[in-house]
Amino acid sequence: MKRRIGPRWIVFIIAAFVMNFPVIATFATAFKGPREVNLNPSLWIEAPTLENFATVLTISDRLNVYDYLWNSLVAALIGAILPMIVAFPLAWPMVRRGYGRSILFPAIVNLRALPLIIFAIPIYLMYATVGLLDTRLGLGLILAIVNLPLTLMLLVNAIADLPLELEEAARMDGARTGRLLLRVVLPLCRPALITTFVFGFITAWNEFLFGLMLTTSDAVPMTVGASFFFATSGGGVQWGVAAAVMVIAALPPLLLGLIMYRRITGSMVAGAVKG
Amino acid sequence: MKLTAKLLGVTALSSLLTGAVHAEVTVLGWPGGPEETALRAAAEMYNARAEVADDDKVELLFTSRDGFFDKLQVDLAAGSTAFDANLLATYSIGKYAPFLEPIPLSDEAGAVFGDTVLKTMQFEGAQYGVPTDLSLHFLYYRTDLIDALMADDAAKAKYTEIAQEHLGEALAPKSPEDWSWLDFVANALYFSQSVNPDSPTRYGTVIQAKNLLFNMMVFHSWPRSYGADWMDADGNITVDSEAYRTALSMANKLFELGATPPDSTSYEYAEANAAYSSGQVAAMVQWNAAANDLTGAQPDTGTFAPPSGPEGRFTHIHGLGLGLNAAATNKDGAIAFLQWLSTEEAAIAYAKAGGAPGLASATAAKLADDRPDLVQSGDYASTYGFVMNGGTSANALSVYEAQAKEFTGFWAGTQDLDTALGNTTAAMTELLK
Amino acid sequence: MVKKYKLENAVLASPTSLFLLAILGFPVILSLTYGFSETSFETLRSPEFSGLQNFRDVTADKTFWQAAWFSLRFGTITAVLECALGLALAVYLAPLIQKHSWVVAILIIPMIVAPAMMGLMYRLILNEFAGPIPYYLYSWIGSSPAFLSPKNVFTTVILAETLQWTPFAFLLFLTAYQSIPQEIREAATVDGTRPWRLFWKIEFPLMLPTLFVAVFIRFIDGFRVFDNIYTLVGSGPGGSTTSMSIYIFETFLRRGEIGKSMAAAILLFVSAFVVLSVAQWLLRRASR
Repeated sequence: MKRRIGPRWIVFIIAAFVMNFPVIATFATAFKGPREVNLNPSLWIEAPTLENFATVLTISDRLNVYDYLWNSLVAALIGAILPMIVAFPLAWPMVRRGYGRSILFPAIVNLRALPLIIFAIPIYLMYATVGLLDTRLGLGLILAIVNLPLTLMLLVNAIADLPLELEEAARMDGARTGRLLLRVVLPLCRPALITTFVFGFITAWNEFLFGLMLTTSDAVPMTVGASFFFATSGGGVQWGVAAAVMVIAALPPLLLGLIMYRRITGSMVAGAVKG
Repeated sequence: MKLTAKLLGVTALSSLLTGAVHAEVTVLGWPGGPEETALRAAAEMYNARAEVADDDKVELLFTSRDGFFDKLQVDLAAGSTAFDANLLATYSIGKYAPFLEPIPLSDEAGAVFGDTVLKTMQFEGAQYGVPTDLSLHFLYYRTDLIDALMADDAAKAKYTEIAQEHLGEALAPKSPEDWSWLDFVANALYFSQSVNPDSPTRYGTVIQAKNLLFNMMVFHSWPRSYGADWMDADGNITVDSEAYRTALSMANKLFELGATPPDSTSYEYAEANAAYSSGQVAAMVQWNAAANDLTGAQPDTGTFAPPSGPEGRFTHIHGLGLGLNAAATNKDGAIAFLQWLSTEEAAIAYAKAGGAPGLASATAAKLADDRPDLVQSGDYASTYGFVMNGGTSANALSVYEAQAKEFTGFWAGTQDLDTALGNTTAAMTELLK
Repeated sequence: MVKKYKLENAVLASPTSLFLLAILGFPVILSLTYGFSETSFETLRSPEFSGLQNFRDVTADKTFWQAAWFSLRFGTITAVLECALGLALAVYLAPLIQKHSWVVAILIIPMIVAPAMMGLMYRLILNEFAGPIPYYLYSWIGSSPAFLSPKNVFTTVILAETLQWTPFAFLLFLTAYQSIPQEIREAATVDGTRPWRLFWKIEFPLMLPTLFVAVFIRFIDGFRVFDNIYTLVGSGPGGSTTSMSIYIFETFLRRGEIGKSMAAAILLFVSAFVVLSVAQWLLRRASR
């Protein structure tokens, strides 16, 4: 089993460079001054500067990055956690008893294939009536819908992987279903729940269209707020500032993803594999 | 002493209450450009006025240009109360009119703006908005390149040779102020390396031809100067005309011969400006709003009205303005602000802060020192400005959409001219009936 | 046995059902109503029943079929490319990853970036005048392909999507590869099986279910693509990058033909439902 590692490093470096090229280029642009952006499109930064970041973090006239970050954080947390709470009890009978496998499961998973924006008008009308428009809760609820299909898929697959013996043993001890789910199944699902959370959070954070349609001023999320920076000078794009704001907007999910990468590589995918 | 305390208490309480019922006037403006800066200045001035009650102070709301009209459409249709007054554009008034209310302007509005400009904010005879900015198009060209060409006999001969070969006419280089569209094309070919390998620039021009309705507005001055219109007096669609055919085919020649960047079928405002700013483009037709950016990047830039055609010289105009949301919670306050915005005092403050209002010559003259460019654009607008017949109808926006799809499809080579014009006619017949 | 759990199952399903009902119940009913009515933004509150007219309009619309064809091709090509690349990377890099697991973190960065932003990034880096890629190509070989021209735009969006989502397929395959019991490999090696043969005869068949799932998920995501294409080129030169989602979005917002866009969405949902059910059925048969 002797395998040479050298060529693999080279392949890794090439793959990482090519796939991450847009991110690398944006990162480089974010550190270029306004003059340099126009004159020097290369990856090399002649005179690195934090000017763009200073601009982004200090414009408080109408663009408040801290608010956008907070809005995104709250909405993404709701959008990631809520679907796990509602889908967990459903996933179990789906696996163990085949409940809803013919209609409910495909129907929910199908939401993933549908451009949800078609519900924009009805949801807008409904939100306006109940006062959820331009609120973090309202945005979070929609993000929860967006995340529901993948969450259910992942949980179903995770439960299918659990050994039946433990549940049977608990049954022997006379545990009822509620207790069984909370005391036996839930703890076993913890790795899957963590990955589901990471994925849900990243997806929710990155969502754009609903953020645009359903918020106006109080609950504007970071992705939408970032687009505000694209036209800060008469419609022309200030690429340096835009790049800086993209870096800031991408940072929270990126950090989460990088810290949790072991989780993502491990359990989640083991779940998705079973389909 | 006691009385004062009591009064203070009452005031504090009432201000708390009024604060809770959202009494101020919220205005949704056009974000991210000089329009925003100007509106901020105007609002500040208005709020400082003594007669404006606390409940009627103006609060501004700016979102994003990205998807602005899509979101506004949804907001208005759903009866949003998030703003009392909102941005209007000439081509979208008809579309938004069902959700707006006509407004009274100040008595002096007619004298300040002139009828042409007020009309850009009217729909079916009613005034829906107060005009704030006027948009038209300039021809931008590199004076250094033109001067060098004019001073070089060999280059002039080459220019004539290229014109003869590709356009069938032995044109000589001219000053851009005398250009017809034919000269524009000849110049674009001469300055393109694909046609003339010695050209100092890579491309002679740049046409922003992404499938986007705004790009059609920039293009329209061209067919118009050949006599084009959307429909005749009887309402027959006249888009399948010699005028449109000529202009579309001439533009297509620029794509075919590589006189505009090969990517430009995906370009919009920002990319086209980036191309010009890089110094690789000799001349282009672009919005007047780009003047600062373009002359900033290429100081040797001259501006003039777009080239002329057999029927004269034209520039497509449209106005931006502010109108009243029918679902507004503070209508009276909003009307008071809009009315003030139509006074000379407000218009001048708006212009001084960087806005581009379309002003009648008497008012523009008062700004001759601060904003000479307003005199120029006001001049062009009144001399060369036009709006297509049907350009303010309820479906105007969709007409531009349909044209954008079909015309850019022709330039992109996915369909021929007959198909493009046939589809456009069909779509417009449906939209303008 | 089945009956006994009926009530309990319903109770367990109730959080999801109630949540869906609360958020999507009204919108779905309204959307269905719009789908069978003559609706525009002016008549949102008073749609007029028009039977199957919207469905006739949609199926007669050439652009609809072009969009369906685009999405089908886009979904298929990107799914195949992503899975091929992801599989190759996962298998080849597995020994490296065993020693240095942080390598994975670097490779999954693209899928963490918002697709809408990825589109904007490509708009910058592919720009002939401001982007690094054309800049380097011009300075090294004196010319650069027009990435977004009508001729090349399809390839460009395919590559952009593939480069962003190959990491996803890579992750799936990596996990599947790592979960193959080490004894199987060792046994094969002892028998003198060469690495190439080991892969095709033993490892690859074990990863087939993963391949099936990966292709399927990536196909769905590719088929419904919106954000990155929209921010990069919109509906494309001559409508050449109009995906199904972009078609529905533009019909809905830009052209204000709400009924027609709902009809298109309903057709999409129904056909996706059928495809998904068949796929699941196949999967269950295969695993049996």
